Amino acid sequence: MNKTIIDVQNICKTFKITKRKSGFKGSISNIFHPEYEHKKAVNDISFKIREGEMVGFIGPNGAGKSTTVKMLSGILYPDSGSINIAGYVPYKQRKEYVANIGVVFGQKSQISWDLSPLDSYEVIKHIYKIPDRKYKENIERFTELLDMQKFIKQPVRQLSLGQRMRADIAAALLHSPKIVFFDEPTIGIDVVGKEKIRSFIKTLNKTDNITMIFTTHDMQDIEKTCERLIIIDDGKKLYDGSLDSIKRNYVSSRIIEAEFEELPEKIDIDNVTVSNVDNNKMKKLITFDTNSKGINLLMSELLNNYNIKDISVKEPEIDAIIRDIYEGKIIVH
Amino acid sequence: MNTYIQFAAIKFRNNMAYRFEYLMGILNTVLNFLVYWCIYKALYGGADEIDGITFSMVTTNFIISLGLTNAFSKNEMFLHDKIKQGTIANELLKPVNFKFRMLFEDLGDGFFKVIFNFIPAVIIALFFTHIEPPAGILSFSLCLISAVLGYIVLWEISFIVQTWAFWLFSIWGIVTIKNVIINIFSGVLLPLWFMPEPVMNIIKFTPLDSIFFTPVQLYLGELQGYEIIFNFSKQLLWIAVLYIIGEFFWSRGIKKLVVQGG
Amino acid sequence: MKDIFSLFFAYAKSGLKTRFQYKLDSVVATLAVFLREAAGIIAMYFALLKFDTINNWNINELMFLFSLIFITYGIFIVFFMALRDFSDWIKHGDIDRVMLRPRGILTQLVLCGADWLAALGHGTLGIVLFILSANNVGVEWNAETILYYIVSIASGVLIQGAVFLFFSAISIYFIETQSLKEIMYWNLRKFAGYPISIYNKFIQSLLIFVVPFAFVNYFPAQFLLRKPDMAAYPEWFMYISPFVGIILYALAYLFWKFSMRFYKSTGN
Repeated sequence: MNKTIIDVQNICKTFKITKRKSGFKGSISNIFHPEYEHKKAVNDISFKIREGEMVGFIGPNGAGKSTTVKMLSGILYPDSGSINIAGYVPYKQRKEYVANIGVVFGQKSQISWDLSPLDSYEVIKHIYKIPDRKYKENIERFTELLDMQKFIKQPVRQLSLGQRMRADIAAALLHSPKIVFFDEPTIGIDVVGKEKIRSFIKTLNKTDNITMIFTTHDMQDIEKTCERLIIIDDGKKLYDGSLDSIKRNYVSSRIIEAEFEELPEKIDIDNVTVSNVDNNKMKKLITFDTNSKGINLLMSELLNNYNIKDISVKEPEIDAIIRDIYEGKIIVH
Repeated sequence: MNTYIQFAAIKFRNNMAYRFEYLMGILNTVLNFLVYWCIYKALYGGADEIDGITFSMVTTNFIISLGLTNAFSKNEMFLHDKIKQGTIANELLKPVNFKFRMLFEDLGDGFFKVIFNFIPAVIIALFFTHIEPPAGILSFSLCLISAVLGYIVLWEISFIVQTWAFWLFSIWGIVTIKNVIINIFSGVLLPLWFMPEPVMNIIKFTPLDSIFFTPVQLYLGELQGYEIIFNFSKQLLWIAVLYIIGEFFWSRGIKKLVVQGG
Repeated sequence: MKDIFSLFFAYAKSGLKTRFQYKLDSVVATLAVFLREAAGIIAMYFALLKFDTINNWNINELMFLFSLIFITYGIFIVFFMALRDFSDWIKHGDIDRVMLRPRGILTQLVLCGADWLAALGHGTLGIVLFILSANNVGVEWNAETILYYIVSIASGVLIQGAVFLFFSAISIYFIETQSLKEIMYWNLRKFAGYPISIYNKFIQSLLIFVVPFAFVNYFPAQFLLRKPDMAAYPEWFMYISPFVGIILYALAYLFWKFSMRFYKSTGN
């Protein structure tokens, strides 16, 4: 097993938000007697990540994802708790530390709008003091892997969103960081573009053993790239584990899709809910809880009592599970 | 007409939202005036008058031209931005005359700035300076009318330059150069009484002295009978000429937009 | 040090490359900046045809006084554009990007942001005014005066850098500082173009003690020109511009450093 590279212990971050009062009197009193509201953006979060791991960070808007990532990348001081990454305390040893990380913001480009990606890479080379040889190697390799030959010399303003994103990812990797944070890297990009980005990230994680942290809204991103998932909401960690184990351990409901040869009068089985899929009512979804009814029992009940043309067991959809976790319908430990 | 007044009213109300900025704006206006007041005070060096022009006439010149510039402190990149963002086409689909809408919105802004920025600034200025009272009620009313006409001249010139955004990558440089010319040669930085004769002879054939100098002269009662009619006609003539030029560029620009689809 | 230079040139190259994409526009915009700044002096030139002098300063001496303002600004803006626009950087979350790079934050801000249009516009104007006036103001240009002049320019750049460093620190707390800059820098700079002796005590104190523009141009010019209105000020004011620059910059730097701890990255 690889050694721990990111060690986060009980970090908290509270923001002071000025309450805006409206009206003329309000705006005067805003200046002289501001009222504050304290918002706990991150509330006692701890986790460890091993070298080479790929971890998805998810949560609804305002859950504290961004704040956590900003603390991890050294932009924000935590109010309490400790962070140790690759032997550094990010917010104390910012300059030394950030040479080891790369950050990709899906919503904010770090390459110049009016210049070509290559022009921007030249500047980045100087900022990170990347040796000539390594720089050349990396440029060649990323151009190839990210399929950038066509546009690497074009002004960024002429690129599509997907191309721009790929150019941005390469920019964050030029100095061969050990750890890379991706903040919504696929946002607004079409399906093909997303696929390219995901496969690149996956490849790089395997070949270079780079530790990666992903924040995203797109569950597809997580399903296709990450083995491990951390869910946070309201500043707290709700879940930390593999994607599979969520499906296995926390979701006991399963769905059977059954297509009938002839329309049944009524489905008379205990402890299940039945719903129609289409208008001719021949296909039905049967939802049940594995705790109260064994799957074998249900299957045989169905096959014995009804004339069934086709039958299949469906995996619960991850989006729905996550939604249930946010809404508290599924309690995770 | 009612629609256009509505546009002005909306602009007026929006402006109420930024109060702190406006307090600072008043201070800014006072300071802008104070610089030139100090400079001319030093230039006069205690003398009562130079070439028949008293120091308080100079002060009055600066106050009036400052008032008008204040009323006109609009975003001159408005049309430019609409064209570059491609939203101009949507604007043209609305059932109002775009150009009049622009004018009335700017008048709304200008009206606001005169009341809430310029007048308080003048009141503050009165603590340290002496401003000539208007030569009479008639002079004052004529000054107000000609100030509105001066405003329209200023607006038309700005509109013409703004329409060039249909052809140019950015008009910021040209707008700035235009303002430099107006500031130097129409009396904002230098009262036209002190403009050297040869330069003044050229200015007379341009709209530049119709903007600030005519209202100033009317206010001070420097113009009599026939001169009043002449100066008003000159302002109106320039408004007509500039309007035609503006329409020329505007219609060409729109045509270009329609042909090339933005 | 060599590394700092190479970083500066890398930034400068990319900045100039951007500008070169719009050649005609860059030329027009530079000319516009030049003329905008020259407007006050052109008007003054016409006025002095009638009035001859302002407080005993003739047009050449005024141009010399102005040239210091513009030359120092032209150099200043090569290094301090990012600090001039710091509020915008904060608003758009651009400081985050700076913090993610393994260099000093201020180092990056100073090296990365050159407003080449302003630098060329102001700088050219300053040089033009200097050339027009330098030989007509009775200054004997020898090693001593040339050295004094160069040190004054450097001090002037540093003083203005310090002022904007203060403003940036303040914008960490208030974010919007446009009107503060407008009043305390741009308006006061308008005053500073002319001999400060024409103003009342209050404005003079502002220009000497609060935003010390007087040490950018008036006192250095006085050392070279020795106009009679210098009698109103202590003579040693003519020698302290470099110290004003260094001390002010050091104070501004400490305040800025302290304030950065309060920097809150704007969340999504």
